[in-house]
Amino acid sequence: MADFEERRGLLGDENECPAAGGQGAGGASRPMAAICDPSHLLHRVVVLVFMCFLGFGSYFCYDNPAALQTQVIQDLNLNTASFMQLYAWYSWPNVVLCFLGGFLIDRVFGIRLGTIIFSLFVCIGQVIFAAGAWSNHFWLMEVGRFVFGIGGESLAVAQNTYAVNWFKGKELNLVFGLQLSMARLGSTVNMNIMGWVYSKVAVAVGSPGYTTLGISLMIAAGTCVFSLLCALVLAFLDKRAERILHKEQGKTGEVIKLTDVKDFSLALWLIFIICVFYYVAIFPFIGQGQVFFIEKFNFSPAQARAVNSIVYIISAPASPILGFIVDKTGRNVGWVFAAVIATLGAHMMLAFTFWNPWIAMSLLGVSYSLLACALWPMVAFVVPEHQLGTAYGFMQSIQNLGLAVIAIIVGVIVDVRGYLVLEVFFCACICIALMAVVGLYFVDYLKGGGLNQSAAARAKLQKETSTNAE
Amino acid sequence: MAAAMTADSGRVWGILLLFVCSSSQSLFNGGDSYKRELTVKLYPNTSSPPPGGELLHVRAVGGNDTLHFLFCSQGAPTLLVVHTDSPSSIVEVNWPQFVARNTSGSLRVEPQSSILYSTAVVFSRLLEYDDENNTAEGTSNFFPPYELQDFSWSPMNLSKPTAVICGSAPHAINGSLCFQLTVFGSEGRPELWPRLLHSPNSSQVEVWLDGLLPRSNTSRFVLELQAVGGAFPLSKVDVRQFIDDEYTPSIFKVSQWVSSANNGSDILGFVQWKPVAYRRPRPALEDATPCRHSEPQPWTGNKTTDSSALIKAFYSDPRAVGMNVSFGIAGEPFYNSTMFLSWTMLVGVGSPPVDSFSPLVIGIMAAGLGIPFVLLLVGGVCVFIMKRRDTSDAAYQPIN
Repeated sequence: MADFEERRGLLGDENECPAAGGQGAGGASRPMAAICDPSHLLHRVVVLVFMCFLGFGSYFCYDNPAALQTQVIQDLNLNTASFMQLYAWYSWPNVVLCFLGGFLIDRVFGIRLGTIIFSLFVCIGQVIFAAGAWSNHFWLMEVGRFVFGIGGESLAVAQNTYAVNWFKGKELNLVFGLQLSMARLGSTVNMNIMGWVYSKVAVAVGSPGYTTLGISLMIAAGTCVFSLLCALVLAFLDKRAERILHKEQGKTGEVIKLTDVKDFSLALWLIFIICVFYYVAIFPFIGQGQVFFIEKFNFSPAQARAVNSIVYIISAPASPILGFIVDKTGRNVGWVFAAVIATLGAHMMLAFTFWNPWIAMSLLGVSYSLLACALWPMVAFVVPEHQLGTAYGFMQSIQNLGLAVIAIIVGVIVDVRGYLVLEVFFCACICIALMAVVGLYFVDYLKGGGLNQSAAARAKLQKETSTNAE
Repeated sequence: MAAAMTADSGRVWGILLLFVCSSSQSLFNGGDSYKRELTVKLYPNTSSPPPGGELLHVRAVGGNDTLHFLFCSQGAPTLLVVHTDSPSSIVEVNWPQFVARNTSGSLRVEPQSSILYSTAVVFSRLLEYDDENNTAEGTSNFFPPYELQDFSWSPMNLSKPTAVICGSAPHAINGSLCFQLTVFGSEGRPELWPRLLHSPNSSQVEVWLDGLLPRSNTSRFVLELQAVGGAFPLSKVDVRQFIDDEYTPSIFKVSQWVSSANNGSDILGFVQWKPVAYRRPRPALEDATPCRHSEPQPWTGNKTTDSSALIKAFYSDPRAVGMNVSFGIAGEPFYNSTMFLSWTMLVGVGSPPVDSFSPLVIGIMAAGLGIPFVLLLVGGVCVFIMKRRDTSDAAYQPIN
C-alpha cells in the first residue's frame, strides 16, 4: 500500500494546532471514571486501540491478491497481466483522490462521517471483490478493487487526522509508530494466513475453485467490517469527547493548490522521480512475488508467502529505529543513496543468482524502510510550508499513477518474457531512481541546499536563522 | 517489450538502448558463422508411400565433417544421428531389406571408418494413467499403453527444413500423436516456446498429442523414450539450473541426457529439453505445465530392435537405455482440460548448446549501471572544477 504513513511524522510535528487548548477545561463539572474521561490517558488508550484497527481491514485486504496469487490465477483462469490489473485498479482512483481526501474530510463530510464513508467503501469494495470471485466474473473483481481503492488511501488520511486530533502535543509520534506497525502487521498476517484460510475453505466446500476463492475473500472482508465497526465506535467516542470537552472536530489542515505545481523546484521533481521509480520496484514486485519464488526457487506456496511478507515484517520494527537514526544524523541524500543502492543489490541478487531469497528480501525490507524514513521528510526541506500539502498530494498521486501503470507492464513482461527480464526491468527502474538521487545530490550541492547536511549542521543553521530573526 | 520498457524512461533512453542492443546483436551474430549445408532425401522415392512407413535422410555437411539425421516411421518413430569426420560420407539404404526388418546392415554409412559417433532416440510407448487423487506420481492406475510401433503413421509432410508425421492408435476414433523433426543448418532459436537454442549440430523434435480421447477424466500421460547407441548410449540426465528464463518464461532449469566416453567429461551426444510442456498449440504462460523425467534405466536392446526398423537396420549390437517423461504435476489441470500436450527436445552431437543472456538484458543492465556511474563521475569532476575556480577566485580577490 502506498506509503501514506511516512508523511504522518512530519504533519504531526508541524501541526501543533491550537485546538488542543480546550482540552480538559469542560470535563471538570462532573467526575468520571478514568476510562470514560476523554481527557484521561486511559480513555485515549482505548481510543488508540480502535484507531489502530481502523486501518487493519484495508491493509489486510490490500494484499489479498498477492497472498492468493496461485489460487486466483488458477481458479479464474487468468494470466499474470490480468492478475496485476487487480493492483492497477486499486491505484487508479488514488491518482485523483490523493488531492481530494483532505478536502473531503475538512469541508464536505467532516472527520467522523468521512471515516465511516471511507470504511464503507473499503468494506463494499472488498465484498464486491469477493462476490466477483464467487461468481467467476473477473470484471466484477476489478470493480471491487476500484471501489476498495477509493476508500483505502483516503481512510489512511482519516486515520492520521484522528491521531493528530486526539494525541497532538502528547504521545503523537508513538501513536504514529504504533499505527504504522499495525499496518505492517495487517499486511503480514494477510500474507501468511490467507493460504491457510483458502485450504480450510477448500476442505469445507469439497474442492478448490472460484467458489472457494470467493468464500475465502468474503472471510477476509470480515476484517473490513471489523474496521467499519471501529470507525463507528470512534465516531461515537469523538462526538462524545467533543460534547464533553467542547473541542473542534479534527481537520487535516491540508491546503491543496494545484497552481503551486508550477513553483516546484528541480530538487522536488527529482524527489518525485525517486519516489515513483523506487516504489514501483517494491509494491508490484511483492504483488506478484509469490509465483516468482515458487517458480525460480522451488519454494512451497507457504514458504513463498512467508518470504514475500518479510519486507513488511522487517519494516515494522526497522522503520522507527531507522527513522531515529536518520533524524539524528541528517544527511538524507546519503541515506537515500544507500537505500537505493541496497535495493538495486537486492534486485540484482534476485535476478542473477540462485542465492536464498531470504537474503535479498531481508535486504529489500531494510532498504525499503530506510528509504521511507529518509525520502519523505526531504520534501519539507525543499518546499515552503504552505505548499507542503500540495507537494505531498502530488507525490502520492504520481506514485499511484506509477504503481498503476507499472503493475500492468509487470504483468505483460512476466507473460511474454519471464522473470529475468522482469527483474532486469525493476533494476532499470531502480537505476533511474539512482540517477535522480545522484542528480539531486548535485542540484542540492550547487544550490547550497541543506538536504545532505548533518543533523548538527542543520540545528546550527536553524539556531542562527532564529537568532537573526530576533 | 522494448518499447514498453523504455516508454517511461524517456526517448533518450530508448535511443540509447536501441543502439546498445543493435550493436551487441551484431557483435553476437558476427561471432557465429558456422553453418551446414542441408540436403534432404526421402525413402522410398515413389509417389505413393508404402503402408509400412518412410525414412527421411537429412545430410548436413559442414567444413570437415558430416551429420546424418535419419528419421523413420517404420515401426516406432525413431531419430538416428550419425556424426562422421568426412565431408563426403554418404548413407546407403537397401530398401527391400530395410522394410523386411530382419537383417542389420541394410542401412550403412560409408565409409564406415569415418563414423565418430552415433545415437538414436526411439519413441516407443505412450502411457496413460488415471490420476484420480491428483498426485501426478504416475506409479499406478495405468491403462494399457499405446505401442507407437502399432500406430498407422501418415506420410511425411515435408516443408523445408521440417518433417511432420502424425499417427493414430489402431482402434482410436480420433486424435493423433505427431512428431515434427527440424534440422538446422545454423545456430538460432525458433519463435514458439520453449524456444530452445539450437546449434548446427542439433535437431529439434516436437511431440504433440492432439485430441486423443482420454480414458478417464483425470488422465495424465507419460512418454517413454529409448536412447540407443553403439558403445556409448545416452546414460545420465543432468538437470542444470539456469537464471535466464526470458526465452522460456518461468522455467529456470534445463535437462540434458548425455553420453560420455568412459564417463569422461567430454560429451559425445545429447538430448536436451526444458522441463515444461504446453497445453495449447500457441501457448501462453498459463498453458505451461511442468514435466518430470525418470532415471534412465538399461533396456534390452533386442526389444528396441524389434520395434524400430531403423535401429534394426543400422545397429548390429545395440545398447539401449529407457527413460520416461511424465507431463503435469500435482494440482495441475488434467489432460482433458485442453486435450492437447506438446513437448520439445533437441537431439544432437557434441556438447549441448548453452544459453546466454540476450542483448536486451545486457544492454539494459549496462545502461542502468553505467549512466548513474558516469553521472556521478561527470558531476564530481564539475563540482571539483567549480570548487577550484571558487577558491582561486577567492585567492585573487584580495589583489583586486
